[in-house]
Amino acid sequence: MASITFQQVRRTYPGSTRPAVDDLDLVVEDGELMVLVGPSGCGKSTTLRMLAGLEEVDAGRILIGDRDVTNLPPKDRDIAMVFQNYALYPHMTVAENMGFALKLAGMDKAERAARVAAAAEMLDLTDYLERKPKALSGGQRQRVAMGRAIVRSPQVFCMDEPLSNLDAKMRVRTRSDIARLQAELGVTTLYVTHDQVEAMTMGDRVAVMKDGVLQQVGPPLDLYDRPQNLFVASFIGSPQMNLMDGVAHGDAVDVGGHSLPAKAPEAGPVVVGVRPEDWRLSDDPDALTVTVTLVEELGSDSFVHGTCDVSGTPHTVIVRAPARGRTAKGDEVRVTTDPERVHLFDPATGARFD
Amino acid sequence: MTRRPRPLVYALLAAFVLGSAFPLYWSFIIGSVTRQRASQNPPPLLPGGHFLDNASQVFDRIDFWSALLNSILISGFSALSVVLFSTLAGYSFAKLRFRGSNAAMVFVVMTMAIPPQLALIPLLKEFSNLGLTGTHFAVALPWLVTAFGVFFMRQYLVDAIPDELIDAARVDGCSMIRTFWTVAVPAARPAMAILGLFTFMQVWTDFMWPLLVLQGSDVQTLQTALDQLKIAPGQTLTDMALLQAGTILATVPLLLLFIATGRHLVTGIMQGAVKG
Ligand SMILES: Nc1ncnc2c1ncn2[C@@H]1O[C@H](COP(=O)(O)OP(=O)(O)O)[C@@H](O)[C@H]1O
Ligand SMILES: [Mg+2]
Repeated sequence: MASITFQQVRRTYPGSTRPAVDDLDLVVEDGELMVLVGPSGCGKSTTLRMLAGLEEVDAGRILIGDRDVTNLPPKDRDIAMVFQNYALYPHMTVAENMGFALKLAGMDKAERAARVAAAAEMLDLTDYLERKPKALSGGQRQRVAMGRAIVRSPQVFCMDEPLSNLDAKMRVRTRSDIARLQAELGVTTLYVTHDQVEAMTMGDRVAVMKDGVLQQVGPPLDLYDRPQNLFVASFIGSPQMNLMDGVAHGDAVDVGGHSLPAKAPEAGPVVVGVRPEDWRLSDDPDALTVTVTLVEELGSDSFVHGTCDVSGTPHTVIVRAPARGRTAKGDEVRVTTDPERVHLFDPATGARFD
Repeated sequence: MTRRPRPLVYALLAAFVLGSAFPLYWSFIIGSVTRQRASQNPPPLLPGGHFLDNASQVFDRIDFWSALLNSILISGFSALSVVLFSTLAGYSFAKLRFRGSNAAMVFVVMTMAIPPQLALIPLLKEFSNLGLTGTHFAVALPWLVTAFGVFFMRQYLVDAIPDELIDAARVDGCSMIRTFWTVAVPAARPAMAILGLFTFMQVWTDFMWPLLVLQGSDVQTLQTALDQLKIAPGQTLTDMALLQAGTILATVPLLLLFIATGRHLVTGIMQGAVKG
């Protein structure tokens, strides 16, 4: 087994002035499922492809275990990859697709067949082994792509948005299947997605990336509870954190004429962040006054969308409320929160205040 | 889904088919009358009854069977070679990243602008300097690879092969050439079939180059052999009736080839078109 280490890794595509991945330092522990998440174009695939050996590394080193693989071809890295569009060979059967890497590695036929059969069993593909990919559903193709990775029993799995071509229901099911399988096999995995829900639900740890720069790495709840900057704060969590400009003084923050309790380290301008579920109703006349514009009723709970007058400009606020409440469009509610629920950020740098 | 084309479309298609088929029909008319009738004015518009006569004379006057075999060998070899090298080069231009790839592709395309007739004489000189004239190989050598073939395969493969599939093959442990066989060739198959057939036909019907390079040799292709059908041995005037009868005979193998592969080709084109 092996860990994955990125040391100061950089990649600038020819013809581009800005690096697609900039001085990345990241360690994935042995057996860990690390989810790399970020908006489209932030450099996730580039990072993964550098790990797989499909993309050149301009600076820095990549280690698998304590092997420097920076300049090794993909086949010598002991990795397997699952692609977004599955990338199955259309003219080969499922069994041939899954066994192809083993065949190239010179494994004898009997052992190959045994491994393919075992993986097929694990993935519920036994009945489809003789079919061509064309004759499979999206979910089945996805499993074949997984199977192709599993049969090699590699040190590292690389997965690039393996669920993004599945419908919503299938995605939720496969999400837990992959996480369970990965835990069972204990193969160190770097998993790329743009979907923060996938990141939160699957990752042992999550790495958030933006514009080629790593923003924060940590267990999902750490990212949720203590986002290190405004980007992570707004990216993780759905609906996203309410963010408002304010001015801190003492143990309160003034938000356009309203007041929120907070423990600001120093007086001055701040960005205040409060998650939708951290609001509570209040009678305090200084609390945030929100005019309800929409109530999203989910059955289990509801999200109240409203606008709040912040220094003369309307500002959207989202509040999570119990399901089947009496709040309706046009109502006015007053909300506040607790000081330990308030996130404060530096408006100049976006960094979190502690 | 299947909508009937409108009458105008029918009419245009019909005109096109007639226009394409007319030369063959004309060949057959001339090939089925006597030499005297063939040169009369106004020309015959309906077939005469001498085709079998003419055909048997063709077999008597030239070594048709050995010319046929030569044509099959040369055209077949050229078609295979053009398909192989064009697919290799087209794949490289379409999918491999290397320095100067765009410039090289532009150069290949630009060579298509040079009329082949311009190269005929220098090429012949070159060949005779190298002592290569008068052989099968001499006819086939300029046809080892064509600029059109490279361009055609590149255009096809750019869209036909997903980049991810090449990445997958690399991760699976394929060498570059193995990736080509595993990923590119299966995807390229329909285009390879079309290019192969097209090249076969081009080489089969080529007249000028074999005429020059095979001059005075025992080796003749069908087209150069037919050129020897003069009104009498030793004369320079061509016997048009015999020539056209021979042309029909020389076209039959091509027609058979098209009939045999036509259905496969059309499905190939359609598959490529809808894959998306
Ligand atoms: N082959 C390439 N050549 C040039 N630029 C590329 C190439 N691949 C990706 N990029 C650029 O690099 C950046 C990161 O791309 P990528 O890693 O694919 O992002 P992500 O997977 O996070 O969506 C993007 O701006 C993208 O346009
Ligand atoms: Mg990507």
